[in-house]
Amino acid sequence: MKLFLFFLLFSVASAPFYLSAQQRFAISGTVRDASTGETLIGATVKLQSPSQNTGIATNAYGFYSLTSAEGEYSLVISYSGYQTNTQNITLNKALKFNIELKAVSDLQEVVISAAERKNENVKSPQMGLNKIDMKDLDNVPVLLGEKDVLKTIQLLPGVKAGGEGNTGFFVRGGAADQNLILLDEATVYNSSHLLGFFSTFNADAIKDVSLYKGGMPSQYGGRLSSVLDVKMQDGNDKEYGVEGGLGLIASRIKAEGPIVKNKSSFMFSARRTYIDLLLKASGDSALKNNTLNFYDINAKVNYKFDDKNTLFLSGYFGQDNIGIKDLFANDWGNTTATVRLNHVFNNRLFSNTSLIFNKYSYAIQLLDEKSSAEVKSLIRDFNFKEDLQYYSSNHILRFGLHATHHRIAPSDITTSANSSFNPLSIENRYGLEFAAYVSDEWTISDKFNILYGLRLSQFSLLGPGTINTYNGSGEVSSSSTYKSGEFVKNYFNLEPRFSASYSLSEKNSIKASYNRNTQNIHILTNSSTSSPTDQYVMSSNNIKPEIADQVALGFFKNSESNTFEFSAEVYYKWLQNQIDYKDAAELTANKDVESELLYGQGRAYGLELYGKKSKGKLTGWLSYTLSKTERQFDKINNGKYFNAKQDRTHDLALVAMYNLSRRWSLSANYIYSTGNAVTYPAGKYNVGGLTTYYYTERNANRMPYTSRLDIGATLKAKETKKFKSSWTFSVYNALNRKNPYAIQFRDKENDPTRTEAVQISLFGIIPSVTYNFKF
Amino acid sequence: MLKKIKYLSLLIAVSFSISSCEKVIDVKLNTSANQLVIEGNITNQLGQQTIKISQSVPYTETNTYPVVKGAIVNVTDDKGSSWIFTESAPGSYTFGQLKGEPGRTYTLKVNVNNTLYTASSTMPDSVVIDSLDVKVFAFGSEKQKQTQVHYKDPAGVANQYRFVLKVNGNQSKRVYAENDRFTDGNDVPTVLFYAGKNDDDNELKTGDNVDVEMQCIDKNLFTYWNTLSQQTQGSPGGITPGNPPSNISGNALGYFSAHTVSKKQMVVK
Repeated sequence: MKLFLFFLLFSVASAPFYLSAQQRFAISGTVRDASTGETLIGATVKLQSPSQNTGIATNAYGFYSLTSAEGEYSLVISYSGYQTNTQNITLNKALKFNIELKAVSDLQEVVISAAERKNENVKSPQMGLNKIDMKDLDNVPVLLGEKDVLKTIQLLPGVKAGGEGNTGFFVRGGAADQNLILLDEATVYNSSHLLGFFSTFNADAIKDVSLYKGGMPSQYGGRLSSVLDVKMQDGNDKEYGVEGGLGLIASRIKAEGPIVKNKSSFMFSARRTYIDLLLKASGDSALKNNTLNFYDINAKVNYKFDDKNTLFLSGYFGQDNIGIKDLFANDWGNTTATVRLNHVFNNRLFSNTSLIFNKYSYAIQLLDEKSSAEVKSLIRDFNFKEDLQYYSSNHILRFGLHATHHRIAPSDITTSANSSFNPLSIENRYGLEFAAYVSDEWTISDKFNILYGLRLSQFSLLGPGTINTYNGSGEVSSSSTYKSGEFVKNYFNLEPRFSASYSLSEKNSIKASYNRNTQNIHILTNSSTSSPTDQYVMSSNNIKPEIADQVALGFFKNSESNTFEFSAEVYYKWLQNQIDYKDAAELTANKDVESELLYGQGRAYGLELYGKKSKGKLTGWLSYTLSKTERQFDKINNGKYFNAKQDRTHDLALVAMYNLSRRWSLSANYIYSTGNAVTYPAGKYNVGGLTTYYYTERNANRMPYTSRLDIGATLKAKETKKFKSSWTFSVYNALNRKNPYAIQFRDKENDPTRTEAVQISLFGIIPSVTYNFKF
Repeated sequence: MLKKIKYLSLLIAVSFSISSCEKVIDVKLNTSANQLVIEGNITNQLGQQTIKISQSVPYTETNTYPVVKGAIVNVTDDKGSSWIFTESAPGSYTFGQLKGEPGRTYTLKVNVNNTLYTASSTMPDSVVIDSLDVKVFAFGSEKQKQTQVHYKDPAGVANQYRFVLKVNGNQSKRVYAENDRFTDGNDVPTVLFYAGKNDDDNELKTGDNVDVEMQCIDKNLFTYWNTLSQQTQGSPGGITPGNPPSNISGNALGYFSAHTVSKKQMVVK
């Protein structure tokens, strides 16, 4: 802590010394796409002169600010996929410079390839960061042709898929609930549709996806493993456009355009599946009455009052419905709403203020007459965020506040009078999270950059409510009743964050990082698949905040004018206050659910290799992860460390895209992964008239490995000035390999004196076709 | 209720996965030394009460479990009565005519080669099956018949139940355990989804003879059976399996259960 304050004081105090040497001025502005007006995130802006060379990447709103000594410069603005823009400027006063970049057309791509691409991945002290190019998303073949952000990030090193066709993911040995998933800053608690086969992110509406696996900047907090920061498009503020797609199971449409030209725009995007419409069309009367669908809507508007003030409103609404007539209905979904105000105080100080609402809820109805009941559950947050960025000569200071009010309504059961079920309502729980953070990205020299910061996080469990404390055997040891707004339990944590990069040459660097993260919202689920009925609990008298410490070391290299990108990272992570469950734990609608929990620790370590080719006819990437993740609980596995479910030794993903001609492009991806850690029986016996299995060690066995090839092709139809269209063909699991989903043990059918192991596989070969259009 | 939800969710998930399939595979397994298994039941039915002692075998062996002979077995209750069980068949220890009584706590002591194993279980008050009928589910065009048990749960007390389902004499491979957390004091219809010798044998057919035994069990036994139930339901990607928590001291597998019994039969129409 002391060391940190010293650092900060020193670095800020040193700024005036630079200033005293020569008069210095700042140049600032916003970088946008010339045809749509969309701000460009992470574009490189460089100020070059024979004696000086400074550069910066635009922030999440396309804003940049550079400070340099008085003089003549060329201002070079570049962004992957866009024509580099160079301007000669005279810096003799504070300057405002908004730039619009033109996208590279297919024809120009070859010509432009000699131009300097950004070298940010090598230079920046940030490590453990992966970005997804939204253009790649159009090409990577996926299940049933539904392009999907979450399935694409599973092809990155250090990210493991939750299961076949599942959007759940595990980052660097962490659990699925340890990922912070943000959509325009709003937390998305459950990111899956249709029991996890599709994600809540409609790719059409998305502009930027960043995944932080380590070296988390201090503006992010609240989860242990990763931050997936998804940003929606703002909408074209120059002209109207409509695009959409017709797929096998879903269709989508997007409309955007100016409300006031160059000042204000809107974007609206919607998607719906129609499996159930097909069911309805079928002649089978019983099938007709079943429900199986999801839909989601993304909408955003913005208004630029002037150069200094921009207001954004964005929202998401998604819902799943499944049901069987007269028997059962289940619906669930997320709602988010974000209001943001960008304010540029001066050409060095940028501010963003956000008010955010997010909610996840589900309802289950049992429709059978004698056992009718409805179960409802929800988690709801209100957030306030203030984030400030101050740009000085060699520093980007970032500081801010984040306050969140949580409400969890665990279960409300209502029933009809003649139902066999009784009504039951579990008390709501309230919590307040507060965080303050500061960080400094300091360019110490041409070679040496550091990003260091501190996040103070405070969590309070609030009344009203009757709060129990449980002893080791799960009995109530004390119980107190609290009034509304009363503080029940407070936790305070300091989270230091540090990363540094040292350039060995222009194209090579080494980086190191350390970060501590804490988490106060926990999912209770004893299933490894994503379930719409996941329960959320907050830290409490019984549940302590989860804590993770991670160190990482990496080597980064770009070559051949940044055509090739390569990185190697190693990490080690310590996890504290992890949660597991007692035998036959009753997690649903249980007011004493905290008595069913066990607490332990974990460790995870690994090596990640990543190679990417981003220019030329053939593009793609190769990622490989060698890793281990383990847990330890006193009451599980005799207190010894055991493999976490998601522990897989090897994970390999190869993604390749090939531009065959102007009309055809081909793509393929291949994945290989070691099987999940599972528990197989070591012995068997007979009780209650049934073969019963005897287990010795938890998760000491392995499922068979997974290997899958998906291929795809895109055909661009002849386009007119006004209308463009394309066909995307894909084949999921092209080799039709039966990959393991689960292994079960049972008595042999023909020889009941023997037992056998049965592998269950989900998807064989699945072809699909999607038609996309734009006008 | 929750089990019903889980079962139905699973069903939908599986029906959604267009081409899910099964195949028998070879797996590499750990082996373990044979473990002592005690299975003791005291019921409220006047008759012979039985304590069985056997051993587990490695997974790769056939399902023949070595019996344990020559153990000393006795049962006492909290009123000071004591019964010495004798080995009437190899590994099977019985006491001639005995009727357990609800409310009484029974303690089992088993001595095998000078190692003592003990367990206690309290027999709950009796709840009986009111009736059996057939519940028909319509999943798409398929109509599926399953056994439905009706009983009246006593209000104000925590009750735990276990069911044993037999269809034409074949015991269902599923473990059925439930409590009255959501149904206290109500007329409860419970569906017992049948699991036969293979996946095609999981429903009732006209003419089937159905036998249901309902047991009222204590809380420890409920945890025991419920743990097994969650594992045998075997939802893919489900919970990590483990040994159910036995109420027998000394690391023996199995259980000792004092429970009431109520039985009913029906023929499927």
